[in-house]
Amino acid sequence: MGEILTGGVIEMLRKETVKNQEHMKPILQVTEMKKFTSHQEPSNERIRVLLSDGTAFIQGMLGVALNPLVNDGLLQTGSILRLDRFLCSDIQNKKIVVVTEVEVITTKADIIGNHVRARKASDQSGGESSNKSNATSGFEQHGRSDVTSTGGRQVNNTEIGTSYVGQQRPQLYGSGSGSSFEQSARSDLSGGHQINTGTSHAAIPPQQRPQVYGSGSSFEQNGRSGSNQINTGTSHAAIPPQQRQQVYGSGSSVAGSAPSARSYSNPPTTYPPQRQQQPPMYQNRGPVARNEAPPRIIPINALNPYSGRWTIKARVTSKGDLRRYNNPRGDGKVFSFDLLDADGGEIRAACFNAVADQFFEQIVVGNLYLISRGSLRPAQKKYNHLPNDYEITLNNESTIEQCYEEDAAIPKNLYNFRSIGDIESMETDSIIDVIGIVSSISPTVSIMRKTGTETQKRSLQLKDMSGRSVEVTMWGNLCNAEGQQLQSLCDSGEFPVLTVKGARISEFNGKAVSTIGSSQLFVEPDLVEAQKLKEWFAREGRSAPFISISRELTGGGRVDVRKTISQIKDEKLGTSEKPDWITVNATIIYMKVDNFYYTACPLMNGDRQCNKKVTDNGDGTWRCEKCDKCVDECDYRYILQLQLQDHTGLTWVTAFQEAGEEIMGMPAKDLYYVKHEHMDEEKFEGIIRKVAFTKYLFKLKVKEETYGDEPTVKATVVKVEKINYGSDTRTVLEAIDKLRTENASSDAGNSGIGTSGTRDPSSSLERNQADQYENQGQYMGGSYRGSGSYGGGLPRQHVGGY
Amino acid sequence: MDTSSPAAFVNGDLLRRYIGQKVRAVVQVIRSDIGSVVGKTTDDQQIVVKGSPPPSLTTYLEVIGIAESDNTIRADVWTNFGDNFDAGNYNELCKLANGEFRHMFI
Repeated sequence: MGEILTGGVIEMLRKETVKNQEHMKPILQVTEMKKFTSHQEPSNERIRVLLSDGTAFIQGMLGVALNPLVNDGLLQTGSILRLDRFLCSDIQNKKIVVVTEVEVITTKADIIGNHVRARKASDQSGGESSNKSNATSGFEQHGRSDVTSTGGRQVNNTEIGTSYVGQQRPQLYGSGSGSSFEQSARSDLSGGHQINTGTSHAAIPPQQRPQVYGSGSSFEQNGRSGSNQINTGTSHAAIPPQQRQQVYGSGSSVAGSAPSARSYSNPPTTYPPQRQQQPPMYQNRGPVARNEAPPRIIPINALNPYSGRWTIKARVTSKGDLRRYNNPRGDGKVFSFDLLDADGGEIRAACFNAVADQFFEQIVVGNLYLISRGSLRPAQKKYNHLPNDYEITLNNESTIEQCYEEDAAIPKNLYNFRSIGDIESMETDSIIDVIGIVSSISPTVSIMRKTGTETQKRSLQLKDMSGRSVEVTMWGNLCNAEGQQLQSLCDSGEFPVLTVKGARISEFNGKAVSTIGSSQLFVEPDLVEAQKLKEWFAREGRSAPFISISRELTGGGRVDVRKTISQIKDEKLGTSEKPDWITVNATIIYMKVDNFYYTACPLMNGDRQCNKKVTDNGDGTWRCEKCDKCVDECDYRYILQLQLQDHTGLTWVTAFQEAGEEIMGMPAKDLYYVKHEHMDEEKFEGIIRKVAFTKYLFKLKVKEETYGDEPTVKATVVKVEKINYGSDTRTVLEAIDKLRTENASSDAGNSGIGTSGTRDPSSSLERNQADQYENQGQYMGGSYRGSGSYGGGLPRQHVGGY
Repeated sequence: MDTSSPAAFVNGDLLRRYIGQKVRAVVQVIRSDIGSVVGKTTDDQQIVVKGSPPPSLTTYLEVIGIAESDNTIRADVWTNFGDNFDAGNYNELCKLANGEFRHMFI
């Protein structure tokens, strides 16, 4: 019955004599069939088939529309079909026939013809390797289920009836990792075409992937130029992203079209015109097999996880450090660098472990490189701020080759400058580039982080043509390198141009710009914009007035929250992650006299006084650890331990210099003199006594701290204010009001809980506070907004819903 | 005069409730004569306070005495409250003290 099938057509398909139904509608038999569900589209079942023309096989994929035929049993193994609509494409160096329309000529039939190879290799799959074998019947599923950005489809590259060769070989090439499927973009792969293949997606962990080779072909998926989109319903390869063996039987049918029959052929990295001989660096790279024609360079913006073998030519715009890390999977090291090509495409490339070692020395910022064969995966937007959806992970197959000839088409750096005026309206935490004239810069200061580490910080004012100026803060090494450079320039009276690439907008009293780990600063860059800025500055910028968008003392928005002392404990203030800022109206009932001051370092550290405690050297000089200097005279600063009381309870607080002066009515130094130098006990006591029973409005910062093993809640006086009875009363009145409405809205007269009354007088509470106090930017009233359980004998109300 | 009973906080409106009883009020001095002072209560009503005012008066004045009519107080105690006084707050106090919370006062 062989006449029924279109003999020899498979060969034609392979030779591309026949590509789709325009050429002919072959009659083939389904010799194998397999359903699978892609991870990506679990709702859609896809069916793979092995089609035979009597002598040869070819793999095929049924369009989703044909699923019912299979499910109804009309189309089954053995069925003879006429392909009414199909397309034969090259996927990963395999010919796959994607069938969208068929005519089932016979549903049940015996398998026609005798075929060269044994099929049904699946049974052997068991023992093959320690890896997960595809327990599929001769079908091998590859590629990831990600859809390419162009919506290209993936077709499972299936082996055509290959048997599993029962051996497993570790990677053929020295260094282990790397995807087993190279998707080498062919040279004629110009931007638009996507290879719809299962991908050798970068998500494949850079771990070993044993490649098993039979005598035959490699599993190289050389995507040919993807001029053909496979137009079936999306066929997603549901490939378990795990190790996979490539199994090749002998005489695999892959042979035909795939020019590079072996994978891991030496990746040609250069393009024809230049080199004739294999670049030396590939000598030690395993076999032999022929390369395909050297791939052309593709633009970075065309890279995607489904690009096969690709090559880009780009300049390194920044290079990260070699970082060591430790995660549940183990230790490792990584470094990454950013690339920019002639089309302005940017992408980050990362190397891990061995690969990192390999390339780290090689990469130099500013140099041009030809880079091929890495894997692509979605960019981690958190760390990667480049405008590319993907990032490259280089692996063992990757090659990096320096281009020694300059290419003026590729800029040194690509900026997307925003004017300072724009920054004001931009979102906090967004990453931007900015260029401006440095009008002033302050020396580096050392900041102690919460983690205990110290770091450098340096701030400067940047101005630009928008008439605005912004404070730019640089951290870490940038302070010393570029920071110093800028400082010297400014000191000598110049106003240098500075570009900042990849800095974050922060918000603190207005907007400011802050560098992050990957930011880059360039002083006096060679850019058109820089030129323009300089000219403008010389012309008008110098003398023009500037509006600073940083450090604006915005009024309003800071609300102080009134609490009673008992509420500190009752509501467990200070125990959450952030400190709580509250206001209490209380009286000082006691002050510890013993240590009301400490000896402080008077040296200026930036624009602030150091104020760290200095130690007595014994000879009249004092030593500051932080500044690492000795001074003859120390400063005296208050550190008062006070006990406060209000109608609800007692608490201890600590007040420092500013608050202390307000309370004591004199500078610490004077008080110190009274007691210690003049030894005037009486006067001293008189002063102390006067402090007792004075009532103030205290703004407190409450935070739980751990001393030894015990956590204690400590309160610090941030500000002390005399009571303004008028507004204070008003506050109380409003609180009363609120209580009243609360009580009205709940049933029982006592302890109204939660639901706020119809009127929400809390806002007026805040308003009143606002006019009383200037806002010093220290308040986060938000979380405690309008907690009106104040007075009225209802201490523990936790008022939600405000 | 009986000084032992508590004096109710009143403004203009509340005064009539306590006719014949002891009251206290803070008024803003409008005019002062020998033997009386015309003042504005905290709710902007005019009352007359009879008695012997102190020689010098500040802007605000507290008087304690017997309410004679709905706009007259015969005061025994006169206290200068200074020039800065929040009449609004006092007014609220009067309302609260005679309304919701009178159990706390009288």
